[in-house]
Amino acid sequence: MEKTVPTEALDTPAAEYTASSITVLDGLEAVRKRPGMYIGDTNVYGLHHLVYEVVDNSVDEALAGFCTEVEVVIHVDNSVTVTDNGRGIPVGPHPTVKGMDTVDVVMTKLHAGGKFENSAYKVSGGLHGVGVSCVNALSEWLEVEIQREGKVYRQRYARGVPQQQVAQIGVTEKRGTKVSFKPDTSIFEVTELNFDTLSQRLRELAFLNATLKISITDERTSKSHEFKFEGGIVSFVEYLNRAKEALNEKPIYFRAIKDQVELEIAMQWNDGYDERIFTFANNINTHEGGTHLSGFKSALTRTINTYAEKNQLWKDLKEAPTGEDAREGLAAVISVKVPNPQFEGQTKTKLGNSEIKGLVEQMVNEQLAIWLEENPNNARKIVAKIGDATRARLAARKARETVRRKGVLDSGSLPGKLADCQTRDPKESELYIVEGDSAGGSAKQGRDRRNQAVLPLRGKILNVEKARFEKMLTSAEIVTLITALGTGIGKEEYKPQEVRYHRIILMTDADVDGSHIRTLLLTFFFRQMPELIGNGFLYIAQPPLYKVTRNKKDTYLKDDEAKNEYLLNITAERAKVLTPKKEISGGEIRELLRKVITYKARLDKLSARRDPRIIDALVQSARIETDTLLNLEALNGEVEKMHAHLEARSPEVLPHLKMFRKDDPEHQAKKLVFRTEVNGSPKETVLDHAFLSSPEYRELLLLREAFEALGEAPYKVKFEEQQVEAASVQQVLDAALADAQKGLNIQRYKGLGEMNPEQLWDTTMDPARRTLLQVKVDDAVESDEIFSLLMGEAVEPRREFIEKNALEVQNLDI
Amino acid sequence: MPLGPRCPICKKPVLARSKNPSYPFCGDRCRAVDLGMWLGEEYRVPAGSADEQEDEVPLPKDGPEGDA
Repeated sequence: MEKTVPTEALDTPAAEYTASSITVLDGLEAVRKRPGMYIGDTNVYGLHHLVYEVVDNSVDEALAGFCTEVEVVIHVDNSVTVTDNGRGIPVGPHPTVKGMDTVDVVMTKLHAGGKFENSAYKVSGGLHGVGVSCVNALSEWLEVEIQREGKVYRQRYARGVPQQQVAQIGVTEKRGTKVSFKPDTSIFEVTELNFDTLSQRLRELAFLNATLKISITDERTSKSHEFKFEGGIVSFVEYLNRAKEALNEKPIYFRAIKDQVELEIAMQWNDGYDERIFTFANNINTHEGGTHLSGFKSALTRTINTYAEKNQLWKDLKEAPTGEDAREGLAAVISVKVPNPQFEGQTKTKLGNSEIKGLVEQMVNEQLAIWLEENPNNARKIVAKIGDATRARLAARKARETVRRKGVLDSGSLPGKLADCQTRDPKESELYIVEGDSAGGSAKQGRDRRNQAVLPLRGKILNVEKARFEKMLTSAEIVTLITALGTGIGKEEYKPQEVRYHRIILMTDADVDGSHIRTLLLTFFFRQMPELIGNGFLYIAQPPLYKVTRNKKDTYLKDDEAKNEYLLNITAERAKVLTPKKEISGGEIRELLRKVITYKARLDKLSARRDPRIIDALVQSARIETDTLLNLEALNGEVEKMHAHLEARSPEVLPHLKMFRKDDPEHQAKKLVFRTEVNGSPKETVLDHAFLSSPEYRELLLLREAFEALGEAPYKVKFEEQQVEAASVQQVLDAALADAQKGLNIQRYKGLGEMNPEQLWDTTMDPARRTLLQVKVDDAVESDEIFSLLMGEAVEPRREFIEKNALEVQNLDI
Repeated sequence: MPLGPRCPICKKPVLARSKNPSYPFCGDRCRAVDLGMWLGEEYRVPAGSADEQEDEVPLPKDGPEGDA
């Protein structure tokens, strides 16, 4: 078998392919006796292998430069015809096998074929070199038709036995070989050929042999494909990446010929994580890899590392990228053509030629380095991607190690900071996650030990810049949390069904910091334990914002709305409002004042982009509808009224007030622009078609109607001991709230820590009296978005968000 | 805000929750990276200003005076 190979260039068509090129090695009986030894098995694999064997002969003709088209047809009876336009099998008396035609030798003698002579075919696939004679031996019948040197010859076989002499049946101008065969049903356990399986291999062959046209037609279903790729393995890589986003726009492609070995590599990274490297030796898919693959891998990692280090692109990496990092998202095709391939491994699909490793390595080292230098933009993208892969790997490893080290896996030991409950039934158990040690202490004392557990989390504060602090959960705290929950964490260990509590309640302060910590925890649950949220196990405690003491009786109020409601109830008990039209008291007063509160709240909402005093004047004094903007005279009249209103109620506006009328061509109308100052900064309030037709304005008008029913101000407000005069409904409200607060002690809780254990139990933990907010997935999504803002990739929205939240909390401080 | 949900780590669009066992991530890899960030103490939220901080530090020791 070992022959020296002539040293001509590969693409020169080689010596003559004649009858003397064929040597005889063996007979066919053995093949029928033990088919598995020759074609792998007698099942699906072996059946399709028959087709590949015949096709490979045609592809070998193409490799040698004599064939441009191969056609495969699956017939209705699962027989197959493979036709090529190669030179045609040599016909005529065989030079060494006495009395036999060369066609019969090729078709019936094992290991007979031009490829063992190395001169007719310098390289060939021909799987394991068993040749077409195996196919013949394993076919019920096989027919070969040869067009060669102007003549057409035919021969027929049954289970490998020639049925006649090779006969000339006609003349032709074409050339080529047509082989038809029907796999022997007495040998194969299956007979159905799979169109897709064959198509995949034929597509592969078309990629590997650029410009070779391979078609397949299935007569059973009329399906057909035609494969022809001008780009060869570059097209192959593009095909692999067809559904992905490519990183380097065009596949990188190298080709080299050295020591009779032809090497071709195409590769392209995509934005995914899979590594897809296809390797071939002489067109055979080397599934098990081999020396070409190992040479490629080591050169790839080394070359990219060298480039990145030279250009200082990986300064921040704590560890050098591994080969796997470098190959993340890589699609590559490596094709080598070797004169004497050695196949090893379980399925004989591992290339063994040791000299190939060095050749591939050398080529990739040289050519990839050049490519990187010449394509700096693409090179940087690739290097950045590999850096990301490395960071991701290190982060995941760190997570694994931290969790293992801190003993989350050891579920027998619960963290010391956890005050667990007595019951072991998760359905009954509650876990309060409490911000801060002091609140945690109160919660531990105040809870119902039977089914309420408490885990205090303190977080850690970092001084980032001079006056800027950041808070985080320490890794120890996160591990403690995971241990307390009992779910484990990470792909292998996380078991949400083992959670020890079916109510997990976040209890944080009602201030900005508290809401940030809550966001942090919500985000953690949403990202790492989403099932707990999906099952409805996660809740937010509602600690009260106020404690009101009246006649030595304590009442807890959860927010400003509750506080106002409480005060309005007092007013309803003891106040009367006298208006020009009527006298109101009790429930009617409460109704009226609720509307005033709503009115103020709506004005407040509008104040972000407008001066609320201008809007108030508009609503309270003027009658401006969208139509009014069309009528200059009417408009002027209404503006006069607004002015008078401002003079009476908000005279401080006037010194800075400037009013403009502008055109609104879109509505063929005017619009009014008021410029004022709010807290020293200029504010522009636009009254235009859009605003006057907005639902917000309409709601204000509805509220105004309710106020108008009272008649013109001033009003008299009579309390038990005194009477005051009010110039507007707002003043009625102010007077009422001031009166209602007499004799009350209102305490605003700044944090959970201000409550003692009994208070915490009474207000927030006692299942009979508390309210809990159940966290839904949607809330959690929002949390994650807020969290992303807090993480501050976009600096501006982050600042806005923090300022807005800070503002809201200030407003609560009445 | 980008249209549709995106993976918090790699920012690629992610499939809806019903079709994606790794939600809200694009895959298990990004979830693992996220876990690494939590355990690496890389997620932080703003925590007030220096002045507020000084107010808060003494609190935990004695606790507030009860009003009851």
